[in-house]
Amino acid sequence: MSEPLLRTDSVTKRFGKLTAVSDVSLSIPEGGISSIIGPNGAGKTTLFNLFTGKHAPTEGSIEFRGDPIDGLEPHEVVARGIVRSFQITNFFAELSALENVRLATQADRTGFAPDDFLAHHASLSEATDEAEAVLERIGLLDVADRTAANLAYGERRHLEIGIALATDPDLLLMDEPTAGMGPEQTDATVSLIENIAEDATVVLIEHDMEIVMNVSERIAVMNSGELIARGTPEEISRNEAVQRAYLGGE
Amino acid sequence: MGLLDAFDPREASPTTDGILTNRGRFGVLALIAALAVLGPIAASVRPFWLYLLVQILAFALLALSLDFVFGYAGLLSFGHAAMFGAGGYAVALLVTHVTPNALVVLPAAVLTGVVVAAFIGWFSVRARGIYFAMLTLAFAQIFYVAAFADLPASLLGVETVTGGDNGLVGLAALEAFGVVDLSSRLNYYFLTLALVALSLLAIVRIANSPFGRVLQGVRENEDRMAFIGYDVERYKVIGFAISGGFAGLAGGLYVPFQSLAQPQLLHWTLSGELVVMLLLGGLGTLWGPMLGAGVVILLEEQLSGFTAWEVILGAVFVVVVVFAPQGLAGVLVSLRDDPKDTLGKVRDALANYREKVLK
Repeated sequence: MSEPLLRTDSVTKRFGKLTAVSDVSLSIPEGGISSIIGPNGAGKTTLFNLFTGKHAPTEGSIEFRGDPIDGLEPHEVVARGIVRSFQITNFFAELSALENVRLATQADRTGFAPDDFLAHHASLSEATDEAEAVLERIGLLDVADRTAANLAYGERRHLEIGIALATDPDLLLMDEPTAGMGPEQTDATVSLIENIAEDATVVLIEHDMEIVMNVSERIAVMNSGELIARGTPEEISRNEAVQRAYLGGE
Repeated sequence: MGLLDAFDPREASPTTDGILTNRGRFGVLALIAALAVLGPIAASVRPFWLYLLVQILAFALLALSLDFVFGYAGLLSFGHAAMFGAGGYAVALLVTHVTPNALVVLPAAVLTGVVVAAFIGWFSVRARGIYFAMLTLAFAQIFYVAAFADLPASLLGVETVTGGDNGLVGLAALEAFGVVDLSSRLNYYFLTLALVALSLLAIVRIANSPFGRVLQGVRENEDRMAFIGYDVERYKVIGFAISGGFAGLAGGLYVPFQSLAQPQLLHWTLSGELVVMLLLGGLGTLWGPMLGAGVVILLEEQLSGFTAWEVILGAVFVVVVVFAPQGLAGVLVSLRDDPKDTLGKVRDALANYREKVLK
């Protein structure tokens, strides 16, 4: 088997007395869609926070392509090719949809060279072109000039994904991308996720079991900070521990 | 939210948007031209006006430098007096001990402002919002106390460096290689006007650069900027240092004209007065706060005979914040866009006030 894209080794994260993530060893191979499921408070989002440099693990290590990434700053993690979207839409409310995405496509083109201070930002035309391509992919090209705060809910959720996608990641971590959506929007978002998974590895945190079972190649189940099961959708749906902890509880 | 609403960059097309559209630039050019004509008139009619104009220009530059971080980048600095005063003291010390050459002392003022701001910024940017504000304020007060108690003199074991609470008085006038006589108030006025105009150009240019866009993103959503790959703290320190350079220049222009550098230049009340100028003028618009500085200084001048002139400034401030939260810039832009419906706007403002305050 080839080397996993992302691997955690006995990762634990404690906040004071609360253990949010406990001794999780997980590996995510390159390509396709993997999902992390579990009840609220199971530690899924904390795991994303650990992967993306928001928190450093209390114990254990995280490797991306064989290199340790725990303890890196968020922007350094992004430079390695890992990016996340957020459960609660987390964009630039006062900027247009295009500018939201463009900040992301501009990121690896901007530094501290004299031109970055003196040129007009529009001179980064490749960043604009790429941002428009991303908007087209997430279905928002028509509303490119609209202020993000004025977008419809489904559009905002797609913009949230688009901002992450625009950094051109190898690994895209998506935190409940379909939360709060109606059935039609959900279908559109699922198609988008499948489309993204064609050229990036996707890890989903998702509550909608139908989506999880349909799109995931692998599923990891968490409960109370612990990883209680891993496997294919069939294996997970037959797993008794999972049914007790999660599926049976619904 | 809505810091930028005062001068909405999104009213322009997405490729040319940014601070100061072409129309705005024309307005600024016209104002500079008017000031260039006004100088000689003031000099011949009433020289005191010239004194006032230089003071307004220096504070306009200081307000501009603060708005670049405060309004545009969302870094709530309450310590910009530190850079202003540091630039001023740098000039005073150089004039006293080294040379009155403007081509030496003014760049030194800029450099001093950059260094002080980088120092304060480096320690402060990890904190956010009100905590950042308090840290910058505390740092500025440290500089104030250092100048007031003449700490450098104690450290260096000399009799005096900053002149303590008296400051450095009776400074020689600036000159430029003996060619330009800057003891002439009119010449000094033109120098100041030119440097303030150039600074405005430079800051607008930086605000519209890729770097400026990043600062805008930081203001809107600092966390997300980090999660799409920006080293946010580094951007903030550099932005703060750039702002500090212009604040230092403002101090460097102000001090020789007053022929006096005193600890009050570093005092937190000056930083506070600056924030009033920003809010009065229109946060994040860059040009609005410059107008705000003019209004505050004119009011101060006109009303200083009146013991409690701050009461009137306070009243003006309250009226603007309540009825025109986007400041003078917001009022001007809205009048420009739709001059006919002025009465309607006043009605809207009153209705808004009733709804929000009297409800």
